[in-house]
Amino acid sequence: MVDEEEIIKVAKLMKIDLEDHSEHVSRVKKMLEYFDILDQIDLSSEEITSQLKSLDELRKDEFIPHDKRLIDSLKNFREHYVRAPKMN
Amino acid sequence: MTKIGLEIHCQLTKLESKLFCSCKANYREFKPNHNICPVCMGLPGSLPRLNQKAVKSATSIAMALSCETPEKIAFFRKNYFYPDLPKNFQITQLNVYGDMSVGGEGYVRVENKKIKIRRIQLEEDPGRIIYEGASERTKITLVDYNRAGTPLVEIVTDPDFESPRQVRVFLNILSDLLENLGVAEPGLEGAMRADGNVSIEGGSKVEIKNIGSFHDLEKALHFEITRQQSLSERDIEIAQETRHWDDRRKITISSRSKEEDQDYRYFLENDIPWVKIDQNTRDTLKENMPESISSKKERYVEKFDIAPQVAEIIASDKYYSKLFENAYSDQNAKDIANLITTDVIGFIDTKEKQQNSKITSKHLSDLIDAINSKIITRNSAKIALQEIMKSGKDTKDVLQEMDLGQVSDSSEIDAIISQIFEDEKQAVIDAKKRPETVNFLVGKVMQKTKGKADPVKTLELIKSKLNG
Amino acid sequence: MNLNTSILKYIDDVKSGSFTVEEFISATLQRIKDIEEDVHAYLSLNDSTINDARLIDKKIASGEKIGQCYGFPISIKDNICISGTKTTCASKILENFIAPYTSTVVNRLQNEDVIITGKTNLDEFAMGLTTEFSAFGPTKNPWNLDYVPGGSSGGSAASVAANECLASLGSDTGGSVRNPASFCSVVGLKPTYGLISRYGLISYANSIEQIGPMTKTVKDSAFLLNILAGQDNNDDTTIDSNNVNYLENIEDGIEGKKIGIIKEMTTEGLSSEVSTAAKDAIGDFESLGASCEDVTLPTIPYTVAAYYTITSTEAGSNLARYDNIRYGYELESEGYEYNSYISKSRTKFGPEVTRRIILGGFVPSAGHAGKYFLKALKVKSKLISEINNAFEKFDYLIAPTAPVQPFRFGEKIDDPVTLMLLDYNTVTANLTGKPAISVPYRVINGLPIGMQIMANSLEEKSLLRSAYALESKTNLPEVPL
Repeated sequence: MVDEEEIIKVAKLMKIDLEDHSEHVSRVKKMLEYFDILDQIDLSSEEITSQLKSLDELRKDEFIPHDKRLIDSLKNFREHYVRAPKMN
Repeated sequence: MTKIGLEIHCQLTKLESKLFCSCKANYREFKPNHNICPVCMGLPGSLPRLNQKAVKSATSIAMALSCETPEKIAFFRKNYFYPDLPKNFQITQLNVYGDMSVGGEGYVRVENKKIKIRRIQLEEDPGRIIYEGASERTKITLVDYNRAGTPLVEIVTDPDFESPRQVRVFLNILSDLLENLGVAEPGLEGAMRADGNVSIEGGSKVEIKNIGSFHDLEKALHFEITRQQSLSERDIEIAQETRHWDDRRKITISSRSKEEDQDYRYFLENDIPWVKIDQNTRDTLKENMPESISSKKERYVEKFDIAPQVAEIIASDKYYSKLFENAYSDQNAKDIANLITTDVIGFIDTKEKQQNSKITSKHLSDLIDAINSKIITRNSAKIALQEIMKSGKDTKDVLQEMDLGQVSDSSEIDAIISQIFEDEKQAVIDAKKRPETVNFLVGKVMQKTKGKADPVKTLELIKSKLNG
Repeated sequence: MNLNTSILKYIDDVKSGSFTVEEFISATLQRIKDIEEDVHAYLSLNDSTINDARLIDKKIASGEKIGQCYGFPISIKDNICISGTKTTCASKILENFIAPYTSTVVNRLQNEDVIITGKTNLDEFAMGLTTEFSAFGPTKNPWNLDYVPGGSSGGSAASVAANECLASLGSDTGGSVRNPASFCSVVGLKPTYGLISRYGLISYANSIEQIGPMTKTVKDSAFLLNILAGQDNNDDTTIDSNNVNYLENIEDGIEGKKIGIIKEMTTEGLSSEVSTAAKDAIGDFESLGASCEDVTLPTIPYTVAAYYTITSTEAGSNLARYDNIRYGYELESEGYEYNSYISKSRTKFGPEVTRRIILGGFVPSAGHAGKYFLKALKVKSKLISEINNAFEKFDYLIAPTAPVQPFRFGEKIDDPVTLMLLDYNTVTANLTGKPAISVPYRVINGLPIGMQIMANSLEEKSLLRSAYALESKTNLPEVPL
């Protein structure tokens, strides 16, 4: 059984406001309960792998300037800096 | 016993581009938010592209610190929200599926202690936050993303330091080492930062973050040790926590609430494949690594019989060691080394002066030749150096123009000595009574000849004149 | 003007002068005008299509070199960036986001003189199976407007099926190209992971998703793959295509090939119509000279749980950047505190995306990663070994693309588990990185059924050959709309 309080705590961490969306909690709970199926499979011998590339396939170290006007096309930019809300 | 550990971040400013895109690694010359692209801004649909040379530089650093280097490296996401993080996660390295960061365990010798390195990892620097107005009354946070994505190498040590002074020595050694490798410029503002952790005897470990410079680090460490000691003296428990350095008030403040609830949800950065660093590559990197400072020093001491302090000075600075290496021969190595550490160092004591100086290795070897052939005195050489530093002219020309040729003709010197004996009658009497005061007379001769008189000959002649 | 044609036929017709590019595009635009109110496949239309068409006609007339596409109309899923155009991911949070750069796939197509008709509708941020989760209203299935077109590339599939364009680019994370392809009776290909560049595809689950072409015919799919495939300097996860020509020898057939029928995907959970269609498809494969045999991949029952665990983790991270600070909608930061500003902005996410983000914070968290996320990664590894084993014996693995035919709007949306299980047959290809294609096979009661074929990594040429062979056995009606 998944703790509803914990789901709410996680939502806060993910910057999700749950005030008008408490129905989400029960639906998320249902999905998590379905995931319990993962407990039934034997995974003891499994290892995690990934794509592997060699060093020389990587990007060469070069400075290539990008369009200087990029910042102008994004919002919240005024007089050089991006304006973000104040930190606590 | 006090225990201090460090977490050092060093920007790889000698690289051309950022860690995951082709914007400039050294962002300092740009107007705010003019060194950015879709990748380092984390725009929707953008993907990181790992910088090949950054991996090589970081691996070289790991090798220079005697760290183990793995066969393959991987990157991870550290997820948290902050305005200086364009993607609200930082791409960094972790060692959860085995050793996958660029460097594993290693060490650095500081005086007689072995400081253990826990790991070395590559990661991206976030952007820079500028608070508008005083931090308490700030209505807005201003962000400049020019720095976002700059390649960082993080070096984590074991809590092996016993004092802030030891930390300082270590940081100097580390700075020289990184500069010597040609991967970083520790002198650049903000290029090297360090956080620390401190515990005193019987106390918990306290992390200190937000330290802006090495100077501040020492201050912060001193403050924190004092703070912990005073708590301990009053039998108050030292809480295990994270504190941050308040630069204005020069104190550490508990940041309990900010750090504790953090869950970074680390997982593999799947946009970057694992990178194989095979034995061949590692061997090549090792071969091409500039000789370490300590082995250079050893070489100077053993091969040329140069005094250890002199060797240390030359080995530690790329500028001097380059001068030395191109100037010495088997006969004059010691002389060249001494010339550098006695005279050159006096004139060229800043990086700026090093850059502007026109002294070459040939100048040094010419001067030593001239001294050894008794064409000029050591004193004259010093004068000549000053001129050469500015003009870069050929040694021979400078010596001639400044008329620095040694006066070694006995009759010439004799004539001057006679003159001095006339002028300094009292000194002559003193010298006859007490021989050790003869140097005053030698000095006078040197003065008169503007340092050009052969000092050995001068002394000889004065002595014989006094006795005769 | 017959708009129900293929890319290859269109090119022949333009080359032979049967019609001009402008004529075809004009007719296409008229078609869009006529039916869009009903279908709602598009979120935005390109207003320079006629001009682009005229330019290409001019090029053709003057004998100038023309790109391979000859101006055929293509639609692009609205989670793929085109510079200067709105790219919304069907989300309110990107409602006004104008991409400042173009994705590699669109670049490659534009270099070959394609004409883009517009951006198509999707489930918000590609999370969904029916396009009902779009913040701008669902797309309707052209075969029956009361039924879902599938998802998340529902708009892409519908635009092709309804002859509003000749092809579309969709994205496939757990079946999002193949599922709507099956529901709308078009061809949908998910290539080997890394074969097509993701630069410019707005990330949902970057470890497994791929852009895939959606076309009327299998040959058209191969044609597009030729243009799109191959290593890209902007995407470190791309692999070399070794200059394979996917159209070459596509008609060679599958005589003597070994086909594995994935037991776990063809026994339980299928509607009777789909089950029957599957049996008939097996019969068709055998009549084409291949031998069919059951194969079991015991990890498959765990794949949906693993898939949703992995994708929600990645989505939680990939969507963290949407904090409305650098781009987004108008909301002045001054006066707000950081955390409340971000939380307020993120209320613009729709309900499904919101839920996935919460899940994505939960399953990899320090206290729960061992139970969910790490297990899911291991399921992935285990599945890869199992399927690699299977490909040592078989050339292809088959199953129906979706366990059911298209259903009515609102029918499945309330139960999260039922919804998740629609992906049952498709997530395996994503988790393993193997290429998979959905071929339109049958239409029963006016509702389409597609068959899925999988091949081993980088075996697209062979895969397309088998798809072409199956396609040659089908005889499908035209879309009624």
